[in-house]
Amino acid sequence: MDWLRGLWIWAVAALALGVLPLGFDSGFALTILNQISVLIIFALAYNMLLGQGGMLSFGHAVYFGLAGYATAHFLNAMGSGAIPYVPVSLVPLLSGVVGLSFGVLIGYVSTRRAGTVFAMISLGFAEMATALTLVLIVFFNGEEGIQTDRFVGPEPFGITFGPDIEVYYLIAFWCLASVVAMYALTRTPFGRMCNAVRDNPERIQFIGYNPQRVRWQAFSLSSFFAGLAGGLHAINIEHVGFETVGLAQSGLVLFMVYIGGTRHFVGPILGAILITFMNSVLSDLTEAWFLYLGVVFVLIVMFAEAGLAGLLMMHEPIWKTELGLLRRLAMPYSAAIVATGVTAFGLVGLTEMLYFRSAEVTGRTVLALFGMNVETASAWPWIVCVLVAALGALACRATYPRAAVSWNDAISTVKARLAS
Amino acid sequence: MDVLVFSLFNGVLYGMLLFMLASGLTLIFSMMGVLNFAHASLFMLGAYFAYEVSRHVGFWPGLLIAPLAVGVIGAIIERYGLRPVHRLGHVAELLFTFGLAFVIEEVVQMIWGKVPVPYDIPDALKFTAFTWRGLDYSAYRLFMLCISVGIFVALYAFIARTRTGLVIRAALTHPHIVAALGHDVPKVFMWTFGFGCALAGLAGAISGNVLGTEPAMAIQLGPIVFVVIVIGGLGSLGGALIAALFIGVLDNLAISYDLSFYPVLEALGVARDAEGLLSDLVNLTTANIAPVLPYLLLVLILIFRPRGLLGTRDV
Amino acid sequence: MKLRNAVAFFALLVGAVLAGAAQASETIKIGLIEPMSGPIAAVGRDTLFAFEFWAGKVNERGGVLGGRQLEIVPLDNAMNAEKTTHQLKKAVDLGLRYVSQGVGSNHALNIIGFVNKHNKRNPDKSILYLNHAAVTTAFTNELCSFWHFRFDANVDMKVAALTTQMGLDPEVNKVYMLNQNYAYGRSFQAAARRLLQQRVPEAELVGDELIVPFGKVLDFTPFIAKIKASGADTVLTGNWGPDIHRFVKASMGSGLDVQFYTIYGGLTSSIAGYGGAAKSVNLKQVTEFHENDDVPSTKNLLPLMDEWQATYKQSGYSDRPRWLIEMLAAAMDKAGSDDPVAVGMAMEGLSFDGPLGQVVMRRDDHQMLMPLVVSSLTTQYERPVVYDGKDYGVAFSTDGHVSREDTSLPTTCQMKRPG
Repeated sequence: MDWLRGLWIWAVAALALGVLPLGFDSGFALTILNQISVLIIFALAYNMLLGQGGMLSFGHAVYFGLAGYATAHFLNAMGSGAIPYVPVSLVPLLSGVVGLSFGVLIGYVSTRRAGTVFAMISLGFAEMATALTLVLIVFFNGEEGIQTDRFVGPEPFGITFGPDIEVYYLIAFWCLASVVAMYALTRTPFGRMCNAVRDNPERIQFIGYNPQRVRWQAFSLSSFFAGLAGGLHAINIEHVGFETVGLAQSGLVLFMVYIGGTRHFVGPILGAILITFMNSVLSDLTEAWFLYLGVVFVLIVMFAEAGLAGLLMMHEPIWKTELGLLRRLAMPYSAAIVATGVTAFGLVGLTEMLYFRSAEVTGRTVLALFGMNVETASAWPWIVCVLVAALGALACRATYPRAAVSWNDAISTVKARLAS
Repeated sequence: MDVLVFSLFNGVLYGMLLFMLASGLTLIFSMMGVLNFAHASLFMLGAYFAYEVSRHVGFWPGLLIAPLAVGVIGAIIERYGLRPVHRLGHVAELLFTFGLAFVIEEVVQMIWGKVPVPYDIPDALKFTAFTWRGLDYSAYRLFMLCISVGIFVALYAFIARTRTGLVIRAALTHPHIVAALGHDVPKVFMWTFGFGCALAGLAGAISGNVLGTEPAMAIQLGPIVFVVIVIGGLGSLGGALIAALFIGVLDNLAISYDLSFYPVLEALGVARDAEGLLSDLVNLTTANIAPVLPYLLLVLILIFRPRGLLGTRDV
Repeated sequence: MKLRNAVAFFALLVGAVLAGAAQASETIKIGLIEPMSGPIAAVGRDTLFAFEFWAGKVNERGGVLGGRQLEIVPLDNAMNAEKTTHQLKKAVDLGLRYVSQGVGSNHALNIIGFVNKHNKRNPDKSILYLNHAAVTTAFTNELCSFWHFRFDANVDMKVAALTTQMGLDPEVNKVYMLNQNYAYGRSFQAAARRLLQQRVPEAELVGDELIVPFGKVLDFTPFIAKIKASGADTVLTGNWGPDIHRFVKASMGSGLDVQFYTIYGGLTSSIAGYGGAAKSVNLKQVTEFHENDDVPSTKNLLPLMDEWQATYKQSGYSDRPRWLIEMLAAAMDKAGSDDPVAVGMAMEGLSFDGPLGQVVMRRDDHQMLMPLVVSSLTTQYERPVVYDGKDYGVAFSTDGHVSREDTSLPTTCQMKRPG
């Protein structure tokens, strides 16, 4: 019965992916959707390390990027007829194998330990890979990267991968397949072993398992999916550059996964969707976007270690017991959210004005902020923003405990019901 | 011979600069078990603060004020940022400092802009200290050397010889017993962290004018400092010193001797005019990849001797 | 917000909407894809300033094609390949037919690839790419495309200008080359090896070094020692960013007495990076103009440069954005249409009066041919280098002009034109 319910969710997801592009008539929106799908795979692969295996990597983009390069070369070789034709729809599998090979190789030496050592080794490999992309010009072509053309041959069923929509369905298919595969993996004994190795490696050793071996396997599988994502990325953008293997790309996926939530399977998906979307839309609106991203990340690390998904799933037992219980949370939660919003409003206003003042040289003093034209040369907007932020902070102090109390109440009700 | 002596001397200079950064980082690690990813960012803050002070009251006050300011910021970070995260474990602490590094870089750009700031060597030290085989050594470089040697000696004496140093060392290994003896362990941690950050600030203040003070300096220097403390053995001051000097000298030797990798390839049967992928390797020399060598070393050390040169425990 | 501000804002909004409605079909939009966020956002911002300034000049004159206005649409790529692709798709969505970019050859290559494919797949919505600064020579050789026009001199041309001047410089006897080990640095190295032999035959190449690029080299002292040991009197380098300013800084106070021949050593960000060393280093750059040049055609430009500096608080560094906008306007008027194919055809062979004489868009490969000037960093000047309102106390003085003939190099391009 349980697996039937699971099937139902996947069917809905497939349907949603199928009809989603019909709502858009724009190449830009499709590209964003494509990128979100690619990064969902990458983020889930990353979470196999961080969330399920307890390995913090600063260099997982290495496998993503190297597979991307290999895919670009592969497509080019196919295009020039140097190697026999393979349908482009199957090429991502090859990319995955490339990621897997590097993962097996590098994973062997780097997964002997977890925690800080692993993080440092990953940083070392990331730095080396970045430097090599610039030095080994024949394969990586320096900062220019590799151009490729996905339009290489007679694809079956008259598909050419010329139009974006066909690429969308290709990526959507692989995204769904990878998500299902990675979800299934978490349900296998191997997936459970990973969690156990994360939580208590000594104990695992006592039972007779080799934690290094489990980590190595998890790392390799994760590299496979990272490689698959990298291949799709190359097919989508038709260009692979040195930034795809770099620290910035690794950092971005870390942000996605951690902000989304490492403890729940949906966390990285949530993070990938949210951050990719924001990265495309918000970055056009504000220069301070990366600052906001960094601050949100730090706050999540400090106060919500399970990420956004964790915050949502905290309420799972409540709605599973009785939806009506959520109604009791509504008031205190809205108050807390409004207080947070007010604080953010004040702080964002201050930040935007500071950024504007530091970047502006032409003598303009009027900034378009929150749909208003603000005169930054006058003291008033600054005072207002500081006051709003302070007011918000006070409101937060007042409302957060109440929200916490209401959650505790609801949970104790749930516990009482379960006990009876 | 000339080349060797020169490389050694220069390597020591560069190595001591790395050591100044690494000393604060390794101190924090040995006391608190925290690997501070934002350490290089605090180094950058030190350079910017010193620049800002030097614009108004001159270089020498900046040398004092910048490290103090960075130290206070460090203490605040520990008290209100790291301490709440501490209960979540070392990976969470590492993530916190990673995010913090990101935020500091953005804030620096917001305040000082994205182009380098003209932070300069003080006029009083703008003379040639000595000339050797035709190459001048500026007094400022010697000054940097003296400061960094001074820091090493002072740190060593402080931790090994003073009562406070004893408390700090004890607080690391047996925090509960130290607390039971009436010492405020969280406070010790806070000031240790602040002190480590102040050292980074000092390093920034005295080297920002040589390396260039710009928003990218943290990300360019950060990883190499990690390499130093990991190779030296996490938590070991002496190890950090040896590793820093070793990397400094290695870097100089690799550039000065400029060895080709071709003999190795030749032994493997690769022709000098090889086509394709190999052509890159045939022309590669140690000078081309000098900055990458430390990372190679890092990976090798972590594989074969995870505790580093002088480390007493695995990372 | 004060009521008056609100009313003014509302009036402005209504005005903008009305004006927009009236002109929607009339304005000609040029997408500018540059980093407007991230560590080098300042470069993108300055480019946008320049484009808006020169487009404004065309608009003041009455626009193009009998009264249509030019509009610059900034598109931020954050120096990132995916975002460049995103912004290209956005440009297509917005119906833009002209895009410009220059910062980063990787993105330029990306745009050329995209435009080639897009125009093949959508011939009725073709897009023209106007490159104002990406210098990889291949873009106008084996990778040349009808849809790409380059208004900057490519690496080989800049090296040709530098070596021509070095041939005239009696102090150039022993040359040491130091370059960044990636595509650009290597193409600089290859061009310099070839052209040094042709144009400075009496000089000896005493060193030829490649370094790991992008600020990875923290301490340049060992390189300084090697240069000293080689007895070089001249350093020839294509380095930019921290790789040039740390290099120059390290040479100061070491007693190394050489002159630096550079491409990008005169960028304002580099000058800021040298700090105090800027006033004592013997450094030369190659550009298409500088403000202290005595040539009458440069002098004539100064009133415009005054206006530019008054608006944007920075001195003029390059003149290419002006050429690009003016020549686009001229090509449109000549073609009598804003159709990219017709405009592209009209642009071929078009010439323009630059600050050092005529510049010509070569028909064979869409490379702008131009005279260049080699100039030295100096503290004796009429017009200082100013950036963000800050006067750096230095400027450039002319060493020599290199004629258009001397900078023009043969091309291997086999241009395929549409239709």
